[in-house]
Amino acid sequence: METGPYYFVKNLPLYELITHEFINTFVKKGSCYALTYNTNIDEDNTVALLPNGKLILSLDKDTYEETGLQGRPSQYSGRKIMKFIVSIDLMDLSFIMDSKKYERISWSLKEKKPLKFDFLLAWHQTGTEESVMMSYFSKYQIQEQQPKVAVSTLRDLQCPVLQSGELRGEAEASCSAPELFDWLGAVFCGVDPNNEPNNFISTYCCPQPSTVVEKAYLCTVTGFIVAEKICILLEQLCHYFDEPKLAPWVTLSVQGFADSPVSWRESEHGFQKGGEHLYTFVIFNNLDYWLQMAVGANDDCPP
Amino acid sequence: MAVFADLDLRAGSDLKVLRGMVETAAHLGYSVVAINHVVDFKEKKQEIEKPVVVSELFTTLPIVQGKSRPIKILTRLTIIVTDPSHCNVLVACTHLDVDLVCITVTEKLPFYFKRPPVNVAIDRGLGFELVYSPAIKDSTMRRYTISNALNLMQICKGKNVIISSAAERPLEIRGPYDVANLGLLFGLSEVDAKAAVSTNCRAALLHGETRKTAFGIVSTVKKPRPSEGDDDSLPACKKAKCEG
Repeated sequence: METGPYYFVKNLPLYELITHEFINTFVKKGSCYALTYNTNIDEDNTVALLPNGKLILSLDKDTYEETGLQGRPSQYSGRKIMKFIVSIDLMDLSFIMDSKKYERISWSLKEKKPLKFDFLLAWHQTGTEESVMMSYFSKYQIQEQQPKVAVSTLRDLQCPVLQSGELRGEAEASCSAPELFDWLGAVFCGVDPNNEPNNFISTYCCPQPSTVVEKAYLCTVTGFIVAEKICILLEQLCHYFDEPKLAPWVTLSVQGFADSPVSWRESEHGFQKGGEHLYTFVIFNNLDYWLQMAVGANDDCPP
Repeated sequence: MAVFADLDLRAGSDLKVLRGMVETAAHLGYSVVAINHVVDFKEKKQEIEKPVVVSELFTTLPIVQGKSRPIKILTRLTIIVTDPSHCNVLVACTHLDVDLVCITVTEKLPFYFKRPPVNVAIDRGLGFELVYSPAIKDSTMRRYTISNALNLMQICKGKNVIISSAAERPLEIRGPYDVANLGLLFGLSEVDAKAAVSTNCRAALLHGETRKTAFGIVSTVKKPRPSEGDDDSLPACKKAKCEG
């Protein structure tokens, strides 16, 4: 299944993302995603463009004061406010007509403090137009990249027993959802789920009750993947159980970028000691499902 | 938030070791480092050695891991003041024109921190520096480091504290998140510990810059010689923010 190309542009000036041409070509005709690359959310300026047309700038104090844009202080800033969030709605009608607001933002990003970043871009178009991103940004160094897919087969893997109706697990009959979450993390990291209690490196053991599965299939896709493709992937996983299969359940786990300025629905995302925000779908063969969502220290609770 | 900074890399005589230290710091994720020259005023009329010229050290600066920018290298001078009466050290520091007060860890502090001079120092924008590489080398130093740090925290409540390595070798530097965790052992809160490696270092650097300005608001820049005759543009005035 194709997970769509994404594009990497080096040194793209930020004002290119607010030009009328860009908004009309990409933002209005589909879902356009952009995220700065190689910027740490707790140290540098980070910019993200959401598919609903909002451009979120997470700026440090000096940059915020130099651009002169209107924003609010970050929630995870500490004793002294060192980080500010500026949110520009590109779909806002008053933004489109040559209004004072647009002129101010345009002047600020073009002349007052021109910001340049390396961007990861992706565009999911509604309709059958061809992707024109490569030609639009041809004067900057744009490269098209495909998400990397790594597939491995795990043999004789100890898996926990789950019952779709029992989220908290039943004693001696099935495992609880938090235990499954830990086990999934161990499998994704390649940790052996069968350790001695006096092992120096890891004392993790598969939660009981468990079964030993002859073959398990682990597929990892790494890249800047749009939400629409993840929906398609999820639907295809549901169709896996159209014919009866030996497997009792399948999981789809999605991890967000650690340095993204937003997590769910524009709530702010921060990086304290780790910037994890992820969700996991566990789909059972009777098409029941569990949804687990996890956030790090500097995050709001997911919706 | 501010970028991670390590404001204390000890300058030895060997440039190769220094180069190794800066490269290690860039690899660990520090965006700013300061090469520290230590001067001990035991004898009068001691010459202060010339600071290391950065261009001699590197032709191309190493890139910080995880970012696309090169590391920034600054130089710093530390003066050891040995007063006959130790109790006056902190009072002297509240009047002297310095940016950072280093807390020694080689011995148990012979005096207790008093709240009034520490508060005066914080209001003036002084930072208190704790170093952690002696703690890596020796277990007695480790005890002194932690006890001196806890004493300081009780008085200053974690404000204006910076933590740096006094590293003489590349192996003595630790990553910024590890140093923030070390700050928790010293009695700082989680947010303060992270600020000790980033925000407070930035404040100390700005404090140093403002010493050349008038009240930290106006500074002068030398106007380049105009090539043509009539050039009546005003001299450039740079606005610098004064950080407390």
